[in-house]
Amino acid sequence: MKKKLLSLLITLSLVLSLTACGQKNTVENTETTAESEQVITEENNTTEAVSEEDSITEESASDALTTQYPVTVTDQAGREVTIESEPQKLVSGYYISTSLLISLELDDKLVGIEAKADKRAIYKLSAPELIDLPNVGTAKEFDLEGCIALEPDLVILPLKLKNTAESLEKLNIDVLYVNPENQELLTEMMTLIGTATNTQEKTNELMNFVTKQEDALANALANADAPSVYLAGNSSMLSTAGSAMYQSNMITLAGGQNVAADITDTYWVEIDYEQLLTWNPEYIILASDADYTVYDVLADPNLAECSAVKNGNVYQMPSKAESWDSPVPSGILGSVWLATILHEDLFSADTASAIIDEYYETFYDFKYSEK
Amino acid sequence: MTLNTVKNKYYYIAGAILLIALAIVSLYVGKYPLSMEKLLSGDDLQWRVFLTLRLSRTVVGIMGGFALGVAGFVFQTVFRNALASPDIIGVSSGASAGAAAGILFLSGSLAITLSSFAGALGAVVIALFLSSLDKSGKNSTIVLAGIAVHSLAQTFLMCLKLTADPERELASIEYWIMGSLSGISGYSITANLILCILCLCILFLLHRHVIILSTEEGEARMLGVSVTTLRLIVLLTATLTVASIISLTGLISFIGLLAPHTARLLTKENRIQTMLLSGFLGGILLCGADILARSVSATELPVSIFTSLLGAPFLIYLILQERRSL
Repeated sequence: MKKKLLSLLITLSLVLSLTACGQKNTVENTETTAESEQVITEENNTTEAVSEEDSITEESASDALTTQYPVTVTDQAGREVTIESEPQKLVSGYYISTSLLISLELDDKLVGIEAKADKRAIYKLSAPELIDLPNVGTAKEFDLEGCIALEPDLVILPLKLKNTAESLEKLNIDVLYVNPENQELLTEMMTLIGTATNTQEKTNELMNFVTKQEDALANALANADAPSVYLAGNSSMLSTAGSAMYQSNMITLAGGQNVAADITDTYWVEIDYEQLLTWNPEYIILASDADYTVYDVLADPNLAECSAVKNGNVYQMPSKAESWDSPVPSGILGSVWLATILHEDLFSADTASAIIDEYYETFYDFKYSEK
Repeated sequence: MTLNTVKNKYYYIAGAILLIALAIVSLYVGKYPLSMEKLLSGDDLQWRVFLTLRLSRTVVGIMGGFALGVAGFVFQTVFRNALASPDIIGVSSGASAGAAAGILFLSGSLAITLSSFAGALGAVVIALFLSSLDKSGKNSTIVLAGIAVHSLAQTFLMCLKLTADPERELASIEYWIMGSLSGISGYSITANLILCILCLCILFLLHRHVIILSTEEGEARMLGVSVTTLRLIVLLTATLTVASIISLTGLISFIGLLAPHTARLLTKENRIQTMLLSGFLGGILLCGADILARSVSATELPVSIFTSLLGAPFLIYLILQERRSL
């Protein structure tokens, strides 16, 4: 009997320790994410402060915004990189930085880009020559030798490829890591690349455009009610973005209220039909690259009672040029588009169309509405 | 012996009661605020959510767990191997590869269910065909053929993952492999459930033959049984049972291995009742795990986390106790 008791105790303690471990881990995880977020915001504050100072001194000296080489920058992996002279041959291993390089008129300096470039509509529309450039692989499989063979001066890579830099640096190739996961990090990335490639003026123009549209949206929608919006993710209509994600900010800017705001995960999460029916959103917006259609959502018998479906308020974010629901430089256009869906009376489709045309004409040399 | 039988009877009753209790809890737990009053007053929306979502999910949880438990028992018995599970002849990797192909090349949840079912079935048919090439008819041949098919399916899956778009398709494939009951609704489960019940009936009708297969082959032959044909039928039926469930839910780990072991450790027997208890335990595990998966956080969690977390400590406890009683 005693032995039995003992074994039961052992098992119980095992179970408890297991569950305790699990809990502890999650607590630690949230702590670390909280910490890293803090670090990020701090960094942002400093970069903002620095850039403000810069602009002040620059203005007072009435100098054009140019980078004095050699320049030392801190990339988004926290590494200090010194660039000796203005880079002439660039490799970009991430579609977001490639898109930015096009808008900074640096596409003719690109000698290699990420794989699957032929699938990016924006390249076809704005810089079709990029599609034929040698590709240096994906975030999963980076082609190190292929990249070295291109003899680039500067390689821009996503943070996911963090272990690649060492080999490239030994060959005197500068590497910058970028991690545009949200609006702040995207701005930080733009400043970083602008400084490193001596295109600060164009970068500022791009950032000012974004700020201008943010203000325009805020003014137009100042007194509007915020309808509830459910953003259905790329992988399934039952995946969505919580408040910590870039996409949630996009909805807020467009004068909507994200029904999943209580979820704090930093990645897409899965939910079930019951949750979606409980939220009962007024609008359902499908992500640009969703592999299901508006019709699929409208025809789903499980959602027949949902407000958005009943009133036919189901829309998919356009993907003609770029996926505006991802942190790309043109991300503000996602909010501009969404505002016309949620507040047609306050923010007309014509206004939005003019803004979108202006953006692509200024930075990408094509007229969006005519493509 | 009689004492053991009496004790075992309690286990079956306790298992059945616990399963029913969990089913009731499962009907109460969920994200949508259902209330008894509104249901009784005939609120249309409340009924629809209850029937197509809550009830369907509960039924799939219980039936699925039951089927996985029974299939696991059949596999372990037929192969006379404590580590055998439906995975051993490639059914889960076949289903995964099929689902991945469905996610990449087709669209819609029905298409994915069908293609994962086809994948599972394809893998098992190939494995059984390969093993039939060896005329000696040994169990080990099936296992080897299964391992070969399993690794082939894994390779195929890896190729599919490599071509998948990481933002969208790869995420879908990974979520599918993690397994979840979140997408279950009354509109999509009928065919699978009918097939599953049909196969379970066949397995229970064949229970004597399953036990005979567990004896030495010579012995089985002496009992007048065509071992090769019978084994083929039993394995195919058990596989169909598993395929009908996992093509709906995605992979659910551990139940097929854990439920039969626990049942045998409890009853110390290997009979039809043990098979039934194994099914009960499977149902309890999956239903319990699913209740946790949908209620511990605001988002859905993969159900396999909880099947392992609930089941493993219990199995360890039973093994420790077994040691002590020796």
